[in-house]
Amino acid sequence: MIKVNQLLKTVPTADGDLTILRGIDLSIAAGASAAIVGASGSGKSTLLGLLAGMDVASGGEVWLDGVCISSLDEDERARLRAEKVGFVFQSFQLLPALTARENVMLPLELAGVSDARQIAERFLAEVGLRDRLDHYPTTLSGGEQQRVAIARAFAREPAVLFADEPTGNLDTRTGERIVDLLFELNARVSTTLVLVTHDERLAGRCDQRFSMTAGELSGS
Amino acid sequence: MRQALTWKLLAREWRSGELGILLMALVLAVSVVVGVSSFVTRLQSALLSESARFLAADMVVVSRAPVPTSWVTAAEAMTLRSTEVVGFPSMAVADIDHMALVSIKAVSMGYPLRGELQWSEEPYGAVRSGGAIPGQGEVWLAPRLFALLDVNLGDEIIVGEQPLVITGAVRGEPDATTAVFGFGPRLLMNTADIPATGVIQPGSRVEYRLLLGGDADSVAEFSEWVTPSLGQGQRLDSVEGAQPSIGETLDRAQGFLLLAGSLAVVLAAAAITLASRRFGERHTQYVAILKSLGAQSREISRLYGRSLFWIGMMGTVAGCILGWALQETFIRVLGAILPVEPGAAGSKPVLIGAVTAAVCLIFFAWPPLRRLGEASPLRVLRADLSVADAQRKRDFFVGSLAIVGLMWWYSGSAVVTGAVIAGLCVVMGLGFIAARILLSGGRSVGGFAGSIWRVALAGLQRRGRANALQMVIFAMAIMLMLLLSVVRTSLIGQWQAQLPSNAPNHFLLNLAPEERPKLEDFFSNNDIRAETLYPMTRGRVISVNDAQLPKWEEVMEDGSPRQREANFTWSESLPTGNELLQGEWWSADTQGAWVSIEEEFARDIGAEVGDRLTLLIGADPLEVTVQSVRSVDWQSMRPNFFMVFPRKVLEAFPGMYMTSFRLLPEQKSLLNQLVRVLPTVTVIELDIVIREMRAVVDQVARALELVLGVILMAGGLVLISGVRSSLDGRLRESALLRAVGARKGLVLGALWIEFLVLGGLAGLLAGVGAEVAAWSLQTQVFSMSWTPTPVMWVLGPVLGALIVGGLGVWSCRRVVNVPPIVILREF
Repeated sequence: MIKVNQLLKTVPTADGDLTILRGIDLSIAAGASAAIVGASGSGKSTLLGLLAGMDVASGGEVWLDGVCISSLDEDERARLRAEKVGFVFQSFQLLPALTARENVMLPLELAGVSDARQIAERFLAEVGLRDRLDHYPTTLSGGEQQRVAIARAFAREPAVLFADEPTGNLDTRTGERIVDLLFELNARVSTTLVLVTHDERLAGRCDQRFSMTAGELSGS
Repeated sequence: MRQALTWKLLAREWRSGELGILLMALVLAVSVVVGVSSFVTRLQSALLSESARFLAADMVVVSRAPVPTSWVTAAEAMTLRSTEVVGFPSMAVADIDHMALVSIKAVSMGYPLRGELQWSEEPYGAVRSGGAIPGQGEVWLAPRLFALLDVNLGDEIIVGEQPLVITGAVRGEPDATTAVFGFGPRLLMNTADIPATGVIQPGSRVEYRLLLGGDADSVAEFSEWVTPSLGQGQRLDSVEGAQPSIGETLDRAQGFLLLAGSLAVVLAAAAITLASRRFGERHTQYVAILKSLGAQSREISRLYGRSLFWIGMMGTVAGCILGWALQETFIRVLGAILPVEPGAAGSKPVLIGAVTAAVCLIFFAWPPLRRLGEASPLRVLRADLSVADAQRKRDFFVGSLAIVGLMWWYSGSAVVTGAVIAGLCVVMGLGFIAARILLSGGRSVGGFAGSIWRVALAGLQRRGRANALQMVIFAMAIMLMLLLSVVRTSLIGQWQAQLPSNAPNHFLLNLAPEERPKLEDFFSNNDIRAETLYPMTRGRVISVNDAQLPKWEEVMEDGSPRQREANFTWSESLPTGNELLQGEWWSADTQGAWVSIEEEFARDIGAEVGDRLTLLIGADPLEVTVQSVRSVDWQSMRPNFFMVFPRKVLEAFPGMYMTSFRLLPEQKSLLNQLVRVLPTVTVIELDIVIREMRAVVDQVARALELVLGVILMAGGLVLISGVRSSLDGRLRESALLRAVGARKGLVLGALWIEFLVLGGLAGLLAGVGAEVAAWSLQTQVFSMSWTPTPVMWVLGPVLGALIVGGLGVWSCRRVVNVPPIVILREF
């Protein structure tokens, strides 16, 4: 499902180019779950951005579901994301102007799905927010917001779901419930799950575990 | 993105209130522009029609011979109304002991076409107006003529050979200042009686005036048609040209009003820019999320493009309605103190509003929103990514060009636009230098200061770039407000200086030297302040360089030079209010046989510097050489002379004296006593002229103040937008400070300092910018002398600090009134 060859990322700084990723090779099978762990600043989020086609690599290739996204332009990558990719972020990234239901409907509407409302309500019910459909993000707790984000990510039944520190902003118990939810849906929808985390327990639940240190990846 | 989704997102954005902020700014911009320009247009048309009453018409054909009937027919064919006025000086005789030189004005049905003729049944009785003129066989007299001729209502007086019955007193004529026929008091009669009087003979000094009234297009059409046919002694008087000082007052007022409108455009653009930037900044994250969910750049651009289009439509319509309501409210609320009945605004203000909205949206609102499409989806992972600076500079440059174009179009004056732009450039240039120096210098000062100062200066520095921009926008708004206040003050000041309240309002001529003590006694007994007595000799220019000039009446039709009679005086120095156009002035003790002549007089007699003139003073000839040609300010209310000689030249001739003095309205009857004491003197009454001019100046000044008020409000709203544009960052930081234990006092104190410093600096820059713009406007647009306005340098920073400080802290007050967690949750 995901294949990465010699992925390189450098960014220009005042003191010259800074290398963030140094020749990453990686392969994740369809339907598998993979965790990328590492300390803060090790390059995990940068790698996630590149895998999801939200950033452009300085070298190497990223293949997502048979498409080389390194050769796509921004709009083609956006289309690919709309079709195949879901996201769960550490800081939830819900649109404050939209209700829980509208937030979940948004990617469905972007993809032109006709019964977006019903699907959104079904997924919100699955994450236990049947009573919170018309609530705005600011009126939801952190755990509830992340559940909306999970519903939004799975509603499109994406081929790949990327999660960036999904429990990072939550307390342990809420975090555990969120992780359970994530894996439940992953199993049911058969999505390939890629997690970035520094939570070893969470990483332990994944099929594959990669470790990131100073821009280099190890593990399988 | 599908159309339906675009609509949904637009609706959701609307519900969230974010679009509302942008819409509010646009509505504000359009309503201020439409409101100000409608108000200005209505005032302008009102002032123009008000000034038309000085002519008693929209246009007047003035002729020394009867106006051809074909012209009257042509005017009527062009849908113009017309009426004829004939004026000449003559004697009015009550009996052998009571006769007076009067200024006769014969009017016909329809007079006046503009303004009102005021009259009363008794000489000083209740004033009536509307519709009436003296009928055939009747006359109306100026009130003091009743005493002078010792007549009463119903008595007969004789003009020429025709007895006429006195049926009223003439109390006010709209065209008193423009239709002057000799120096005597007014006698108003009907044109139908003129043939019977037999006073108009070949060579008589008669002025025929064909008054025309109608819409501007017809007036212009007639003017174009008749101008080529105008012969010698014929001219067209229009509103602007008829009364130079009124025309100038109106010109300057118009310049001011257009300036005010242009400033409204700049303020509107500033408000839109601030709101759009805030909208753009708040939406970057939004767009990044949309993109991470698969929205493409093009779809996002389309989403915001459509949003902007609909906001533009709604804002323009709402702004036009609100602007119209604004000016209507102004006119209704201020009805009582409004100078004149306001005219119609027409559709131009709405067009200006719509174009302003379009330009503001395309050049100021769209760039930050267009950039949203380019926002990286990576921002969902890394919030610190920002938009390229180069683009912002280009947008700013293009937007500035657009606003210059808009100001130019609106003011119709490159100089007005240039002056304001010069001021704004100074503000911007100095602003960025000051921001760089002071905000970076703040670090070292802050290091030693107490914690409130340290927090405040750190805040100033941390948002250095945003603060610099904010400071420049504050400075621009304050500058525009200061500028308009200064220009208004100096315009009104100059108008009032032109017509000081204690200015002489009567001239006295033909005072014999031996009568001087009598006059001085009369003045002191009646508590009248007299001006200097000027020597005056009357004479006639009969030849130039030995070429005999024809007499006045011999050159009715052609434009050749002719003899002219005039009052002469002597002076050792160039008279005040005169300007030397050619030649030189003589030294006080000169023995030269020289003369200085007024420019129009020089044209009439066909003389230039160096020409030799032969004059007749009484029966004595005098030969002089033209030493200089002068222009004379005829509006100065000072005695002015066509010909001025060195003292030695004129002293030898017998002469009379003239002076000017001021009479209060209640002293008016003293004139009759004066004429009895000194029967040979001639008195010219200018009090009515001055009263009319002062009325116009007062009305125009009031109009300017109203417009200034509107602009100050617009400026205030820009300041509020400016403060709001940086609110998010400040609220978040202040909430964080409170969250880590800072006292309310520290948070509020730091906010006060931050906003006071920003406002004070902005005010200082505004003072400098306003001075630069005021200099160019006063010298280039308003033909005034420039004097620095030091009060602006103090008032700018103080007002800036207080207003911006007050608004800033008031806008951020939530941070101390609401638990910090509530605020932090919002970001």
